[in-house]
Amino acid sequence: MEIAVLVKPVPDAETRLRPDAGGSGLDPEGVKWVLAGYDESAVEQALLLKESIPGTSVRAISYGPLARAEEVLRFAIALGCDAATSVEQPAGAPDDPLVTAAALHLALSKRAVALVLCGKQAGDDETGLVGPALAEMLGIAEYGVAVNVRWDAASSALTLQQSVEGGLVRVRASLPAVVALQQAWNDPRTAKLPNILKSRKAAIERMPASEVSSAIATVQALAARRLAFRLPPPRTGAKMIEYKSPEEAAERLVRILREEAKVFP
Amino acid sequence: MTGALALLERTAGGVTSASREAVGVARTVADGGAVVGLLVGPGGTGPASGIPVDRLFTVEGPGLTDPSTAQYAALLSHAATQLGVARIVVPGTARGRDVVGRLAVRWAASAATGVTDVTLGEGGSLRITRPVFGGRASETLELPGPRQVFAPKPHAFSEPSAAAAPAPSETIALPDGFDKLPTRGAEGFEPTAGSKGPELGEASIVVSGGRGLRTPESFRLVEDLAESLGAAVGASRAVTDAGWRPSSYQVGQTGRSVSPQLYIAVGISGAIQHIVGMVSARVIVAINSDPQAPIFKVADYGVVGDLFPIVPALTKEIRKQRGLPAGPTGSGPG
Repeated sequence: MEIAVLVKPVPDAETRLRPDAGGSGLDPEGVKWVLAGYDESAVEQALLLKESIPGTSVRAISYGPLARAEEVLRFAIALGCDAATSVEQPAGAPDDPLVTAAALHLALSKRAVALVLCGKQAGDDETGLVGPALAEMLGIAEYGVAVNVRWDAASSALTLQQSVEGGLVRVRASLPAVVALQQAWNDPRTAKLPNILKSRKAAIERMPASEVSSAIATVQALAARRLAFRLPPPRTGAKMIEYKSPEEAAERLVRILREEAKVFP
Repeated sequence: MTGALALLERTAGGVTSASREAVGVARTVADGGAVVGLLVGPGGTGPASGIPVDRLFTVEGPGLTDPSTAQYAALLSHAATQLGVARIVVPGTARGRDVVGRLAVRWAASAATGVTDVTLGEGGSLRITRPVFGGRASETLELPGPRQVFAPKPHAFSEPSAAAAPAPSETIALPDGFDKLPTRGAEGFEPTAGSKGPELGEASIVVSGGRGLRTPESFRLVEDLAESLGAAVGASRAVTDAGWRPSSYQVGQTGRSVSPQLYIAVGISGAIQHIVGMVSARVIVAINSDPQAPIFKVADYGVVGDLFPIVPALTKEIRKQRGLPAGPTGSGPG
């Protein structure tokens, strides 16, 4: 079985967020790009499945500016992925989940992939749209917010659970499919140093921007236009409730929630 | 082209609160046109009773008790085309978001999720705002026309008032090729372990407990407070890592992100890992013994002191104010 895992470079969690000069996006100056957290779970899940299904290979695929994409692809290889494809974002192409899905579709439509794994969302724009949009482009099923993804060897079927409001839905997946991970059943593994060094020299298949441009041409008309990127006003710190007894603290807090914050049920 | 279509997602005995919010938002983007609800599955118009739409489309068929996201997308695209509407609002639930992604492709529409504000833009566009980076920033986007589909963030919009009279309804036929679409493949449902009251991601009030509770037994104080408010119960990572409560309770970077109207943090110091999961709550209250705890930097209201007498006093006061019997009725932890 061939598994593809989609990996997105996102700003490191420690990044100090600030708007760029135009005020419409994140200032990329000094940002360290790392593999998105849920995508890391997707890589872990792909490797777990590879270990449990004989003859399985895992290819990591990333779309973005070349240097960023290849950085996370090398990390995916260091973790244990067998191969990698970078899909180069053409200069000026909008950052939009539908455009991303179309670019990834180009890379996937040329392969007989049984299972596409990705994170349920990336920690930067948090749209969660790439997986389902890609599934629709491929005309296959998609299973969002997945946990406990397992291969049932006896029936040659993929089973999983989806985390929905109020609980978990148990699903028998039909393949091919896109599965968007909330969590693998292990914490993501760490890359070992010799593998990190080896990944530096690994070959990465490239889909050049020229090829990608035509693949995203149609869907680009649907891309959202960025108007503003804002930081919330700094919270000024909590208004402290003064009290002499626990009862007084309770009474005052309830009064504030009711009359000032207007959130008392 | 005016009017908007809203998907009504069913739950036991009705539709989800996220669906009612979607209907309210659909009114905003309908630009004076009709708001049409789409209800999928058996039972006629019953589950949509009281939902303030101008027209109701229903669709029934084999397997539609629990449709796949591909089926939802096909039905919405079909209904919108039939109606000639250019905007579809999908409930902001876990599955609703997946429907948005599929529908955007199928219907060739611009798309967004997690929308907290929307206004009509120029030339048939929509101007939307949504939190990014776990609520640490927000972006404003223009969704180009002629077609848009989006999901509001749960609780970002209020539910509209119930309709006095039922809307005229009609049953629509299944689109061509519907039987070729991937089906749901669901085989069972397991409710979240130990949960009673509303679900964490859907609740308008969340009460969370942390290490300050000291023992798994005293986590009961948090559950009693939650019950008095009709709130969902959450926990910090310290609590779930220690096994006091299952990991499904965890609010934070590696757990659930919540954005309720009111978030009460009890005995939680406020590690960044926790903050990113709750900072987008509208009102945050923190109860903690350490006045220097970082949680007070993000909270709107703080109570510094010993939580062990304060929390029960608060529960008691809330029960009194809400006219509930004095003692908690919950069974608490076993």
